Amino acid sequence: MSEKGEVDLTGAKQNTGVWLVKVPKYLSQQWAKATGRGDVGKLRICKKGNQGKAEVSFTLNEELTVIDGIEDKTVSAPRDHPFTMQTVGGQMLAVFTENSSGQSEERSDGSSSVSGAGAGPDKIALEGVVVQRAECRPAVSESYMRLKRLQIEELAKPVRLSQQLDRVVTSNYKPVANHTYNLEYERKKKEDGKRARADKQQVLDMLFSAFEKHQFYNIKDLVDITKQPVIYLKEILRDIGIYNVKGTHKNTWELKPEYRHYQGEEKTDE
Amino acid sequence: MTSLGSSSSSATEYTVRVPKNTSKKYNLMAFNAGDKVNCSTWTQARMERDMSGRRIYGDEETADGAAGSEFGKKQREEARRKKFGIVKREFKVEDQPWILKVNGKAGKRFKGLKKGGVTENASYYIFTQCPDGAFEAFPVHGWYNFTPQAKHRTLTAEEAEEEWGRRNKVVNHFSIMLQRRFREQERGGDDDDDENEKSGKKKKKGGGRGGDLRIHDLEEDLEMSSDDSDSSLGDDGESKTKSKKDTGKGKAKKKKKRKSSDKEALEDSDDGDYEGLEVDYMSDESSSDEEPEKGKISKGEDHPKGIDEASESEEESEEEKPNEEEAKEEEEEEEGKKTPVQTEKKKKKDSSGESESSDDSDIDGETASALFMKKRTPPKRGGRGSAGSSRTGSRPGTPSIDSASTSNTLRAAASKLEQGKRPTPGPSADSPAAKRLKMEPSSQSPAPSGKSTPQPPSGKSTPSSSDVQLTEEAVRRYLIRKPMTTKDLLKKFQTKRTGLSSEQTVNVLAQILKRLNPERKNVNDKMHFYLTE
Repeated sequence: MSEKGEVDLTGAKQNTGVWLVKVPKYLSQQWAKATGRGDVGKLRICKKGNQGKAEVSFTLNEELTVIDGIEDKTVSAPRDHPFTMQTVGGQMLAVFTENSSGQSEERSDGSSSVSGAGAGPDKIALEGVVVQRAECRPAVSESYMRLKRLQIEELAKPVRLSQQLDRVVTSNYKPVANHTYNLEYERKKKEDGKRARADKQQVLDMLFSAFEKHQFYNIKDLVDITKQPVIYLKEILRDIGIYNVKGTHKNTWELKPEYRHYQGEEKTDE
Repeated sequence: MTSLGSSSSSATEYTVRVPKNTSKKYNLMAFNAGDKVNCSTWTQARMERDMSGRRIYGDEETADGAAGSEFGKKQREEARRKKFGIVKREFKVEDQPWILKVNGKAGKRFKGLKKGGVTENASYYIFTQCPDGAFEAFPVHGWYNFTPQAKHRTLTAEEAEEEWGRRNKVVNHFSIMLQRRFREQERGGDDDDDENEKSGKKKKKGGGRGGDLRIHDLEEDLEMSSDDSDSSLGDDGESKTKSKKDTGKGKAKKKKKRKSSDKEALEDSDDGDYEGLEVDYMSDESSSDEEPEKGKISKGEDHPKGIDEASESEEESEEEKPNEEEAKEEEEEEEGKKTPVQTEKKKKKDSSGESESSDDSDIDGETASALFMKKRTPPKRGGRGSAGSSRTGSRPGTPSIDSASTSNTLRAAASKLEQGKRPTPGPSADSPAAKRLKMEPSSQSPAPSGKSTPQPPSGKSTPSSSDVQLTEEAVRRYLIRKPMTTKDLLKKFQTKRTGLSSEQTVNVLAQILKRLNPERKNVNDKMHFYLTE
């Protein structure tokens, strides 16, 4: 198994020539519907004598001319598609394949594919070089024109649509005496009661364990954690911590330096 | 797959198949026509995605639970982002560029950027012919445009703009990258000594190139220091002896760059400050500066200048070759320092000052540079005013100045020699190198020792009117009579009288001094030679 990133250059060495063909969208959609081995049609190459340009034309299979999604049965994909041949131009176009599923397939040009369990991720192989460019155009016909018109109409429809309603929408919000959320909230408040001052030592323990996890805390978060009244908590904090007014950690409490022992800091334990 | 013979033209029919179950995704690799890429020449290739964009899209990782973390920071950040409507784009691996490396480390590198909009309106298919004659069509998943990546250094945008502004002034474009490389090395704290070694020799040639971002204006010529002379030489060399320079260029540039870059900064600020300022010849550099400038000014044109300098550079190259063999670090450094200095017109003043100091400081291994300077200065003898003194173009152009300049260089050479002698009884590595250097040039020039009458002993300051031949005898006579500096010695053997070129004079004199091995003594801070019978 070659390592990741290694490009298989067999195609380049064999100098396999391929064609790059630009195909209209509807045709590629029809091709995607091909069944069986994937036969989609026939390619006919006519060479006029020695000199003349080769005429290439593609004929779509009958069964693939039916277009889904269009109710009008008279509209179907055309069958004849002459190819317009072009030169590659100065550019050098190579074809490479990427096998991303984790399964590796060794393929030289067109031979049967051998699939082996691929341990590595993508396998990249150079398949060949483009020798001819072509454009697949449909032979102009009535049905093609109708097809095109339908397509344009589809595209012309706006994405968003304004619709007038007859009646008022009543299904979203109904007036309620008191929202469930509110009820829960009040209940919780009653049940938990006011926060009681616990032992100072206990509070300190809780604070230190909290500050072990994070360096900076908002006062609200500390109240949440320790469940102490704010004033009491603040007193304790003034003892062991400092309040950051400026800087990146604004309005946060942190332990005094002598109480901290974070990694990379000098430690003095309390 | 059916073959139908049809009417007049031959037509064949092939079945087209679109395989359904392939897990392979076909992509296109497009190269530019100008790059002339041929896939069949690739022996091996590696290609992988360029993931450098990931950190831009990825979230900033902050230490969790450690110092500096806040309680609930992540939630707060997320809430903040939502409030401002900041939407982060996903990092899609599929859209990342490819990095293609061909033929291993030494081969080419390509970057393949995905071309957008390929599959939006039309689909591309790759038609390959199977052995059974049918065509198989595979949809193209993506189109990547591959461009070669430059391995050589390129200028950044700011630097490019700078250079663009100087494009009319810079003759030596090769130096630009050299300087940049130099700067990088300096920043990286590279050891320049080795480079200096190699480049020092070449520096002479390349020196002009490396540092020279000068215009061949008269003013600048006047301001030229020894560096300038080098640069002018370099320039000429450029125009005339490209091949020579090319070899030396690389190395010279390195050293020059450093100097030139240093000098450049200085020179910019000093431009015009020293116009009309008269300065005594204190250093070898200045004298050498004068000479090259003189040569330039006298010509006043690039063409003749070029010829002059070409000849100079040729001489230099000759010198350089032996130097290279010697590979004296210090010499190189000296050279390097000097050449960039020279190239900078504005830096003339500075360079002359620098050269002075450098002369005095780097005594060891200065011989080579001294030699170089010697060589440089003699050709330019014709006529420039002191580099330091007059920028505006007043050129004393007197022989005394010439001899002064040459003597300066000689003095440097001599002092180096001395240094070489002092630490070791025998000639040190530096001195032999210097001496050898001197030998070689002198060997090239007609042997003066074979020449005729030794000059009658005369006072330092009194120029002899009779024909003077530069022989050992003559030098010995002078030195016995009275201690003299190299400058003085050179004054004695003026080119007009001895019939030798200034470079030759310097060389020969250096040789002679080596042979004589005179004693030294410091008078008025100047190194004097003397012999005792």
